[in-house]
Amino acid sequence: MANTETALKEATTAIEGAVGAALVDYTSGMALGTIGGGKDLDLNVAAAGNTDVVRAKVRTMELLGMQDEIEDILITLGTQYHLIRLLKGRNHSGLFLYLALDKQRANLAMARHQLKRIEADLEV
Amino acid sequence: MKRALRLRPKGLEKGRPETKPTNDAERRQLMTAEGEVRGELRRLRARLPQVTGALAASADGLVLASETDEAKEAEHVAALTAAALGVALRLTEATGQGGFRELLIRGESGYVATYAAGPTAVLTLLAEPRINVGRLHLEARRSGARIGELIRGALERPALVPRKPNRPPSLAGP
Repeated sequence: MANTETALKEATTAIEGAVGAALVDYTSGMALGTIGGGKDLDLNVAAAGNTDVVRAKVRTMELLGMQDEIEDILITLGTQYHLIRLLKGRNHSGLFLYLALDKQRANLAMARHQLKRIEADLEV
Repeated sequence: MKRALRLRPKGLEKGRPETKPTNDAERRQLMTAEGEVRGELRRLRARLPQVTGALAASADGLVLASETDEAKEAEHVAALTAAALGVALRLTEATGQGGFRELLIRGESGYVATYAAGPTAVLTLLAEPRINVGRLHLEARRSGARIGELIRGALERPALVPRKPNRPPSLAGP
């Protein structure tokens, strides 16, 4: 089992092309932990903004009457991939992992696979 | 604006009330910013639909502009904000945390948040319980800084009646 800090460090070192990662509470929009980022990518702004993305999708599913759950959300930019992975389990509800990847260097399939493994190992 | 509210240094308190009461001329001068400040509050509410009320007040509790459902409510909240601010300033000083930046109170059915708006004023917001607090902080900090600038602009504007320049009602040191 890994704590927040270890999991985020793992996400940015083990996943090729990672430029920043955050663990976010989407009931409040605040980050429980961040790593990487910098002046081009303020992860606290990303946490708040992507909280709205997750909430909108959750609400849309409710309106559509879909009895399903969101596993992850992929946003493709010109130069980056942004990957949002909702945490599962009773102790983890209301949290998501956010990962920003450099499109040139990243392998999307591998990144998703590794993020899934990091999530399974995470203990908040 | 990065300046935050601070308690007046101890030595300066002698022979002077801790928060100088605002005189009428200063009040008039401050109120010239009302329109612009209200515009800023309106834009803030448009960006954050889950904010249910917004007001800017001087640190001593005078409403400068408000976007609430009732004017009476704004006056009441501004007065209570001034009281809470007094405690918050003492608390940050006593624990060595520097000047006042913000105060967040969470009730069972919503939030009350107060942010420093320059060295002499504060921005107080009421919000629904489901609000994105991360975004509330980001937007309100920016708005607080902008309102601080507007108030400073109003105080620096030449007065309508010629008079001796007055210091703004401030909790900051001279």
